[in-house]
Amino acid sequence: MKFSQSGLYIESYVKCANCGVLIYESSAEDASRKKVHDGQTYCSQECVDWKIERDARRSKATA
Amino acid sequence: MDFVTMNILESSMVSLCKEMGIVLMKTSYSTIFNEALDFTCGLADMNGDMIAVADFCPAQIGGMPLLVKSCLKEIPIDEIEEGDVILHNDPYRGGLHTPEHTFFKPIFVDGEIMGFAVAIGHIAEVGGMAPGGFCGEATEIFQEGIRIPPVKIKKRGEDNIEVWKLLLANVRTPRTNYGDLRALIAAVDLGEKQMTQIYKKYGKQKVKDTVNDLLLYSERRMRAELEAIPDGVYTFSDKVESDGIDADRVYTIAVEVHKRGGEFIVDYHGSSPQAQGPINATLGVATSAAYNAVLHMTDPTIPRNSGCFRPIRVMAPPGTIVNVDFPAPEVGGNTETHPRIVGTILGAMAKAVPDRVMAAEGATHCNFVFGGVDAETKEFFACYDLEAVGWGGRAFADGNDGVDSINGNCRITPVEVYETRFPWRIESLAFNVDAGGAGQYRGGVGYTKQMLCLNDEIICSQMTDRHLLAPWGLNGGTEGGLGATLVQKNGVVAMASRPSAIAWRLPRMSARATSPRRRP
Amino acid sequence: MSDSKIVGVDVGGTFTDFVSYDAAAGTIENWKNLTTPADPIEGILKGLDQVNDLQRVDKIRLGTTIATNALLTRRGAKVAYVTTAGFRDVPFIQRGDRRSHYDITWIKTKPFVKRADTHEVNGRLSAKGEVVEPLDETSVRNVAAMIKADGTIEAIAVCTLFSYIDPSHEQRVRDIFAEELPGMPVSISYDVLPKWKEYDRASTTIADAYLKPIVSDNFRRTHKRLQALGIADKIGVIKSNGGEATLEGAAEAPIQMALSGPTGAVVGTRVLSELTGIKNLVTFDMGGTSTDCSTVVDGKEHVTTNFEIEWGLPIQIPMIDIHTIGAGGGSIAWIDKGGMLRMGPQSAGADPGPACYGRGGENATVTDANVVLGRINADNFLGGKMKLDAVAAHRAVKAVADQLGLEVDAGAYAMVQIANNNMLGALRAVLLQRGLDPRDFTLVASGGAGPVHLCDLMDISGIPKGLVPNYPGQFSAFGFIMTDARVDRHRTVQQTSKFFDTARATAAMTELVDGAIGELVAQGYKQKVEIYRSIEARYLGQNHELEISFPANAFDDATVADLWKRFHEEHHNRFGFSIPGETIETVNLKVVAVAVSDRPKMRELDKGKGAPSASGSRKVRYEDGWHDVKTYDRGTFKQGHTITGPAVIEESASVTILRPKQTLSVDRYGNLIISA
Repeated sequence: MKFSQSGLYIESYVKCANCGVLIYESSAEDASRKKVHDGQTYCSQECVDWKIERDARRSKATA
Repeated sequence: MDFVTMNILESSMVSLCKEMGIVLMKTSYSTIFNEALDFTCGLADMNGDMIAVADFCPAQIGGMPLLVKSCLKEIPIDEIEEGDVILHNDPYRGGLHTPEHTFFKPIFVDGEIMGFAVAIGHIAEVGGMAPGGFCGEATEIFQEGIRIPPVKIKKRGEDNIEVWKLLLANVRTPRTNYGDLRALIAAVDLGEKQMTQIYKKYGKQKVKDTVNDLLLYSERRMRAELEAIPDGVYTFSDKVESDGIDADRVYTIAVEVHKRGGEFIVDYHGSSPQAQGPINATLGVATSAAYNAVLHMTDPTIPRNSGCFRPIRVMAPPGTIVNVDFPAPEVGGNTETHPRIVGTILGAMAKAVPDRVMAAEGATHCNFVFGGVDAETKEFFACYDLEAVGWGGRAFADGNDGVDSINGNCRITPVEVYETRFPWRIESLAFNVDAGGAGQYRGGVGYTKQMLCLNDEIICSQMTDRHLLAPWGLNGGTEGGLGATLVQKNGVVAMASRPSAIAWRLPRMSARATSPRRRP
Repeated sequence: MSDSKIVGVDVGGTFTDFVSYDAAAGTIENWKNLTTPADPIEGILKGLDQVNDLQRVDKIRLGTTIATNALLTRRGAKVAYVTTAGFRDVPFIQRGDRRSHYDITWIKTKPFVKRADTHEVNGRLSAKGEVVEPLDETSVRNVAAMIKADGTIEAIAVCTLFSYIDPSHEQRVRDIFAEELPGMPVSISYDVLPKWKEYDRASTTIADAYLKPIVSDNFRRTHKRLQALGIADKIGVIKSNGGEATLEGAAEAPIQMALSGPTGAVVGTRVLSELTGIKNLVTFDMGGTSTDCSTVVDGKEHVTTNFEIEWGLPIQIPMIDIHTIGAGGGSIAWIDKGGMLRMGPQSAGADPGPACYGRGGENATVTDANVVLGRINADNFLGGKMKLDAVAAHRAVKAVADQLGLEVDAGAYAMVQIANNNMLGALRAVLLQRGLDPRDFTLVASGGAGPVHLCDLMDISGIPKGLVPNYPGQFSAFGFIMTDARVDRHRTVQQTSKFFDTARATAAMTELVDGAIGELVAQGYKQKVEIYRSIEARYLGQNHELEISFPANAFDDATVADLWKRFHEEHHNRFGFSIPGETIETVNLKVVAVAVSDRPKMRELDKGKGAPSASGSRKVRYEDGWHDVKTYDRGTFKQGHTITGPAVIEESASVTILRPKQTLSVDRYGNLIISA
């Protein structure tokens, strides 16, 4: 049985910080695609790129 | 592509899904199933892609691909055996909300697993702090009922009694739930049996190839539809007025649609952090809602399968109202927040495709849950009830009056059935004629249902929206009217419901609940 | 009636079909006449001219499209709707669901009444039938005054809450209207169909009122015309339950005529069941623009009250459960946006018709594909009365095949396959979706196009046997000469097995039986009346009922215990599980009363043996390519003849295409029995 870090429940995934999909620890496919950027986990490079682009676009809009 | 076999296979699979649904409809116990048709039946391949589905509940159709895929990540394929039935309702694992129970049965052909028969159904009672699963004042998932990660309710054709016991010990109406669970199992049994025959008739490889082609075909048609929409970034936002807990806090649903060629990307960044109360949407809901919006804007004759959804991407940041993190409550996300998300996306696309959208609709199911002990028969009763609302006005026609909100396709319960079953007297069912919102094409109107309590006590709980913030118009059309829930005691209005999610008790003959629902 | 004649008349879109039976000679004749849409009686009378001695005719049974057309084209009366205070919006709120998901262009179905013409009266019953508020007669008279002042209302529909339990309020409203608005047609929901669910009942009652002035007027005029010929009292009109009613009886309850003509093929099939001893049959009546399917199970038609004239508009009268799809010989082939070949639902209709009709149609249809494949003989269509343009058919099919990158014959075969698959959907709807196993059935082909596709459908549906009756092209009219006078009455009497009041159930059942017999007697049907009683029940909490026959006269401990036992058994048979000990809820009581007519005696064919002699041969395309196939003339067949496929059997109004390895045998009455 695998428990989460909080000890409260038995999930074994984290969510992509950009798109929110579940990234399962046990999935080889998920593991091969996932990226860590700025200390956060993303499902893929595409989501990292998307986040960077959005941040740039939104800071430009507010500037 | 072998278009002839594809056409034949597609229609055979869709009729099979329909036949599964009919078994479910005819044998289930909950009104929400058999009267409101809040269920969906489909077929999936080994990738978890939905390959065929019948038109029952739209919210569940869009949710199916994610549900199946999540389960396949939790139960390894080599642990699935012939005759197993897997049950799952966990909103945090691809699910939509706790009442939605998903059943999978593997389809084995000559010892090889080919795919799954899938049935998703709304089970009316799931335990938790209020009967009927819709508790307006829940602040964590544990109050919303029993949560079931993917488990085998049947193993190699035999009931897994331990799971049944656990399940039925945790709900208020085990008899009804037993009937509903049996009905769902009968549906996947039928799907599995008939799909096996289809594989045998055409050959495993031929079906596999044709199904792949079918998904490609739907994808190609969807991309062609999307390419016809002008490229651009379209934004819009709408507000949910309350979560039932904090009456003063308003929640924003923000969308930014990136339409690039044949792709449709919905970015929800900018939406409010998740609520304390049960209006949060799960990832499954946020995804399903985006699919729902796109399907409304595109050709309805495209065969519905995962292929249609490939050009659509959703970015739903964790911890927000559109992708709730454990252990916040979420039951209303599927009924209330889903239609608001669809409306927000349609609002964004109004600039691009003005004749394929509508102004804000009612976007609530007016969820009204009640229960108690019948004074006459001394029997326990519980009911989840919903009402229809008005559609938004369109660039070419008035909004339809009195129609179920966009993420469901449920029927309302007839007055004569309602009064026969429950100790209420319905005093009127009347359109709110002036509440449509004016314009060249007016919005559709909702109706007022006035009810008199005939029991010593009925415990009620409701979850609805747009009591404070009016639905928006488009192209200069004006806002629609507001809804309200009024409780009259001894002829005096004792409580005008400000929070749109609330629970209360009604004593006999002295209270009268009125719920005008006005929509643009 | 041993020396008498019966004539069946089926008014179709293009042709009016006639079938006559002469008891003295034991012969059946059939002929066709052009339909006269403006006043169908013209075409009927012209066709009846062919009957030598009209005075010798004992019965003329008429399938009518007047009610169906008035509903479909929305040319009915201006109706006022009167209901319980607080509920005038029910016909507009309807059930709250949508016709389809994802259709933003959808416009909600409008009822057959305008909101401005709806009225409320005070008075209320409870769900148990207690008077919560007595009927306020002043409010009724006020409504009458408003209707009178309006001056445009042509008929009134009355539907009050819980009238299926106690009709006294509705009946009193009707009586007051009779005083205040003499001559105004009034339909009350208790008379139309005393079942629960106020919207469905209201919709049906409104439709009845909507039809009354038009249909009644038409029937009265028809009655007059026929009276002049001295045959008015010989007319029987076919109702949606497949039974006949007199013209006057039909004028009283026009909604009973909502689906008249298509029932003939089902009644004819039930008679085939009696003649051949085959218990379970499924009908496949394929015409130019649509195909009807229905079942006869254990020798009985399936009657339903779940019918919608268009989406969202229920017409809940007991009618033969016919599933219709918009696919027929005229269905047009087209390529969709993704490159997939589709057939229909657009149809070339009768004019211009398929390309091969040579009337300027350019689109390839199912019929054109059949011509290209050699299945339909261009020189012998309708028995040679109409010559088809094979070149035009080829040209039209080629245009579509080219887009698919297929040879013309492969393209035509693909069209037929897809059309067959669409029709398979209709068969699945009446079999698998009702829990019936295709392997237990015989498929009966009728309509001009039915026999052409019969053998293919047997192959893809897994139905092991097929049957082509005599005169497949006029099978509905044939069914009419075989039918009986029949009344179906239903009523909601909701009770549970836990608290079952046998006296209440017995009283309600007796009232239904007396009412049904009374209706037959009032129309002059004096022959032997057979009564069938049944109950619609379900597990408490379910929402869809199973029909359980109830052979006894009265409810008592023994008959009720037997009823529950048979319910559990039936639930298990139908759905694969039952819940012993569970509370059962009875919802509706049902009674069928049939005044049984003498059955025409069918003449038997001479005996023969082996294969009949072939009339020639031609090339026919099957999935594995072209075959040289022998052709046969059905007119030469004798009972006991057998043929092994591939083969083509031609007759005046149709053609049967036997597949390789299928066998055909001719039964004593000349029916073609096909085995897989």
